[in-house]
Amino acid sequence: MGCGEEGLVKSIEGNLQNKVAGMGVRVGKKIKMATKQPIRGPLVVTVDNYSISLGMGIANKIIVEVER
Amino acid sequence: MKLAIDERWNLIDKIAKQVVKYGTYRSTLKDAIEEITVKPLTGIPIAIAVLYGFWAFFGAFAGFFTDGFFVKFFDNHWLPWLQGVFPGKGGWLYYILVGDPTASNCFEAFGALTSGLFVAIGVVLPAIIAFYLFLTILEDSGYLPRLAVLIDTVLHKIGLHGFAIVPMILSLGCNVPAVAATRALETKKQRFMMAVLLAIFIPCGAQLGIMLEIIPQYVGFVMIYLFAGFFIFGFILNKLIPGKSPEILLDVPPYQMPIGRNVRGKLWIRVKGFFTVAIPFVLLGVIIVNIMYLTGFLGWLANVLEPVLCGWFGVPKETVGPLIAAFLRKDLAVAQLSTINMTIYQLVTSVILVSLYFPCVATFAMLIREGKEEGWRGVLQYLFGSLATLTAVVFLWGGLIHLVWIILGVV
Amino acid sequence: MGDPNVGKSVVFNRLTGAKVMESNYPGTTVDYTRGYMRLDGKDVEIIDVPGTFSLEPKDKAEEVAVKMLRENRDSIIICVIDSTKLERGLYLALEIIEEGYPIIIALNMWDIAKDKSIQIDVKKLEKVLGVPVVPTIAVSGEGIKELVSRIKEASPPDIKRVVERAGGVK
Repeated sequence: MGCGEEGLVKSIEGNLQNKVAGMGVRVGKKIKMATKQPIRGPLVVTVDNYSISLGMGIANKIIVEVER
Repeated sequence: MKLAIDERWNLIDKIAKQVVKYGTYRSTLKDAIEEITVKPLTGIPIAIAVLYGFWAFFGAFAGFFTDGFFVKFFDNHWLPWLQGVFPGKGGWLYYILVGDPTASNCFEAFGALTSGLFVAIGVVLPAIIAFYLFLTILEDSGYLPRLAVLIDTVLHKIGLHGFAIVPMILSLGCNVPAVAATRALETKKQRFMMAVLLAIFIPCGAQLGIMLEIIPQYVGFVMIYLFAGFFIFGFILNKLIPGKSPEILLDVPPYQMPIGRNVRGKLWIRVKGFFTVAIPFVLLGVIIVNIMYLTGFLGWLANVLEPVLCGWFGVPKETVGPLIAAFLRKDLAVAQLSTINMTIYQLVTSVILVSLYFPCVATFAMLIREGKEEGWRGVLQYLFGSLATLTAVVFLWGGLIHLVWIILGVV
Repeated sequence: MGDPNVGKSVVFNRLTGAKVMESNYPGTTVDYTRGYMRLDGKDVEIIDVPGTFSLEPKDKAEEVAVKMLRENRDSIIICVIDSTKLERGLYLALEIIEEGYPIIIALNMWDIAKDKSIQIDVKKLEKVLGVPVVPTIAVSGEGIKELVSRIKEASPPDIKRVVERAGGVK
């Protein structure tokens, strides 16, 4: 998923679901990648109209189907 | 009945569909600022500019009031007046409260009512106000979480994550609330590391203010040296301490215009906190050090510690007085250092030592309190963990600066 | 209670006249604060707790919030929600409702939602949830009076009924 791209969340790995559920990230939700820091740094994604920053390791556990 | 996560969200979607209508949303200036402050290419230069602006404002504001007004007032009016009217010149009470009767400025006199008041009100108060004014505006605007995102990559290398920047910045004002702020970090390992690192390496606003007054040309160097220590020992602690360092997962709030009323309110709470806690401690510190000096205890201790102080750190044995004062207040300790006769390099070393060697009592008490949050084992871990780190840091990082001077041939 | 950074401390300060630090970043409040307010001629205690996204805490500050909730079984929960992030706020509100606490919802930052042209049907939301919902702008104090006057209407709704009224969870 590249910068500025949007996509639908396909799946979230096991116990991470608990952690991000309250923040609004969930399966079937549309998310947009706003920015990405260099050297495997964190991303900022927007869900609905809020921004969340997450580390690469966390992001890798969230599978997103990119929309073209 | 409890719902599963998916059920709960489905329910919310259903409710939202019925009650919320999203109108067309226009991109605003806010969104543009939003974007350039988190995109690395523009965000990092902006972050550097903001932090530099913070520093420049701090120095300019504090300097303006301290040099422009308080130094003149205290040295030209307050000190001579007090030296004149205070009874019992040469007596012990005079020594404790007014200090050296021949002193011509408030740094040298070292009485509770002269140096004590001058340090607290003349030097530190403007610094504290300047610091919190800028910090409060940064806080209320919502910039800090963006800074956290930008710096995450770096802090992640030492097992912390970007949000640790919040306690770090708070710490530059006062270590006590900063230690409390570590609670917003996720794991015990991160909380412990952060609390100990900031208590040791990050000088507080009071100390910064006084450093700017005494060694203005060297403050930058001292800061860089301390921050380098922060990262090096952070790296080591990260390897030594078991536990997890999860990645950043942080909500980034929208920007908001700071509201004057809230900025004033918070500034007032913080300055009031400074008045009620710091000023009694500064005065008490002067009194205790003076009593220790009068009773000869300080002289004795200086001789006992001479091999360590002179041999290992390369500073005069008289620095033992300021090191004692540093238990109570770091600002007071640095002010006291300026009255000891030594080279500028020794002064820089001893300022660094004062920063490193022991957090002030208020911070240390807070550290133990945070340990207690984790249960009794936590208290012991925080207590012995911080003392062990402290000892290692003081001797290694404090000794290294002496080595640097030896290599540079300036000792 | 509420998500981080929705203005809980601002509401708290408004209700009690206390001065708790308010800042625009999540994690400003890391401990609970007790305060008192007049309600129907009686002094009642209210507690400001750190923000949390759910009742599954992920840091020490969130743990404090959840612990305070569990320790005060007989209290009324004032759930503060950022109107621009309604869905996320409802997540926590529903969790609290599921645990059977009486709850009143403050839809805070109402002005910002308006600026973003987000319209929330408050009456409808009240009906579906079965709890009082009050739009507030805590920084200016708007809606706080109504919030106070309706605290006594707070009651624990049955989550099954909420599901029925909303039309299922599928």
